[in-house]
Amino acid sequence: MAIVSGVDVGSLCTKTVILNGDGEILSFDIIRSGHYYQGAADESIENALKTAGLKRQDISYILGTGYGRSSISQADSEVTEITCHARGAKKLFPEVRTVSDIGGQDSKVIGIGEGGIVNNFVMNDKCAAGTGRFLEVMASALSVDIDEMGKLYFASQNKLEVSSMCTVFAESEVISLFAQGHMKADIAAGIAHAIARRIIGMVGQVGLKDEVVMSGGVAKNAGVVCAIEERLKVKLSVAQEPQIVGALGAAIIASERV
Amino acid sequence: MEKAMKKIVEVTSNPYAYVEGLKEENNKKIIGCFPMYVPEELIHAAGMIPVVIWRGNESVTWGHAHVPPYDCGITRSFVDDAVRGKLSFMDGFVFHIRQCLQAGEFPFIMERHFKPAYQKVLYLPALYAGDAIRDFAITELESFKKSLEDFTGKEITGDSLKKSIETYNENRTLLERVYELRRGKPEILKAREVMQIVWSSMLMPKEENNELLKELIAGMKKKTVETKKNSIKVIPVGCLCQTLQFDILDLIEDLGMIIPDDDLYIGSRYFANKVGLDGNPIEALADRYLTKSPLCPTKGVWDIHWGDEAIKKMKDNDAKGIISILIKYCPPHACYYPDFKSKMDKEGIHEIMIQVEHEVITLEATKTRLQSFVEIIGGV
Repeated sequence: MAIVSGVDVGSLCTKTVILNGDGEILSFDIIRSGHYYQGAADESIENALKTAGLKRQDISYILGTGYGRSSISQADSEVTEITCHARGAKKLFPEVRTVSDIGGQDSKVIGIGEGGIVNNFVMNDKCAAGTGRFLEVMASALSVDIDEMGKLYFASQNKLEVSSMCTVFAESEVISLFAQGHMKADIAAGIAHAIARRIIGMVGQVGLKDEVVMSGGVAKNAGVVCAIEERLKVKLSVAQEPQIVGALGAAIIASERV
Repeated sequence: MEKAMKKIVEVTSNPYAYVEGLKEENNKKIIGCFPMYVPEELIHAAGMIPVVIWRGNESVTWGHAHVPPYDCGITRSFVDDAVRGKLSFMDGFVFHIRQCLQAGEFPFIMERHFKPAYQKVLYLPALYAGDAIRDFAITELESFKKSLEDFTGKEITGDSLKKSIETYNENRTLLERVYELRRGKPEILKAREVMQIVWSSMLMPKEENNELLKELIAGMKKKTVETKKNSIKVIPVGCLCQTLQFDILDLIEDLGMIIPDDDLYIGSRYFANKVGLDGNPIEALADRYLTKSPLCPTKGVWDIHWGDEAIKKMKDNDAKGIISILIKYCPPHACYYPDFKSKMDKEGIHEIMIQVEHEVITLEATKTRLQSFVEIIGGV
């Protein structure tokens, strides 16, 4: 079987996965997408090739996905990130029935039927509420980095309510909470729950079915994961590297198209 | 066929200029009709030109002083056009105000800020069960006829009304024929062209439109098209009383879907059901209005299910899925949609809802959703 690659060009990060003929991950790469998606895709493919000790001609098929999927000049074809996240999650967690993917610019909840085929999905497509970008803006307002923000959740003694879904209004709300003298950790917990509330609403539309996988960059934020688990009352399965689930799914589909 | 389409595109590309020119050319009064249920035949029989009012393509400006931003696109766009003087060539308007809550705002706004020479508020009944509904509709249409006669000073005779009905029925037959031909070879016209064809009928005098459609049909019969393999047939369904952005229709087709038929007002619903020519023509117009199928949420019909009708249309066309197109802030559709969606889920029908609005369409996100829909149907 041939060596294939999946490239997921997201609004914030570009991810590449290279699979060998047995469907095993040979290498992966994650870089910032920046403002030139084609260049980001080329660079990420090059990085993944270098890590795997391969050359471009070793790759038989490249499948593009993500927000910038149409910008990948090296891709042989493209599939949406919805289908790719479903396929990637199925590979990593064979019993998965629901995927919650929170990416940089949008968030999605995907229902998966028998055989790993998507049977339903919901995505927020109008604003940054409940996305990685929301989290970035909030982290900036708290003057912490994203990782630290995730850890702060667990130091909270009194989870506050951040009621705004709108990123701009939520930022103002966070500043107001600071002005009222609230602790950073309590505000961070409130932010995590604001994202969780947004995701719960989307899960409600798709229908919750266990096992639930969380993918995308926000899955690296332990606070948000915990907040969603608390509200959904289920344990989320999170891959060791949740950001590459979409690229993995793309690579799996690529292997079927060679 | 190309010549006919060129004229249709010209008419629909700038309806303001076209309708204004129509008035000068024919020396007749122009009456704007709120979409969906105004019986245009009565206005035609009164010697005036009925046109269905439309959603403009410009951002709403002054209109926001009169209607809130949470009204639907056609409401805001129409009011904006009216108060900015863009519809000054219109001599009057007819609003069926029971159709939706927002339509009820029009008569007051127009009376106060536009002062049309003629304005009629129609109050046609919701289709609840019971004989009284028919009498209600007939009485309302009689009142409409009388108001037109008072405005023009000319009697609308039974014969003149029947003649108008014949002209309108011929238009319905011709549009039906366009759809039949398209069903046989869906690639013959782009979905946006089909919408423009129906829209042209709403703007042009029916006699002229009938001739244009005959020319178009003759061309469609002759034209051979290459069938696209692996295309997935889908049926757009919606309650929208306006044209949606053509970009959405193009997107559906660019993603490998084909639209062989639709359940849209600026589509198959406009020409569905002819008006009977036997007996009293007013009663016949009422009976057409009272026909429950094709079902529209604005008529308040609950004893037949819109979902069943959509599924039948999908199956009749060998289509694989349904694309619900919901205009943002359309209460009748929004209220019906959960029931419609439940029916789709229960019957295992592939269905996706795309929400569109007047000013903003998030085309990239819509593309991802539609492309995912194709992938689901195609089993990727």
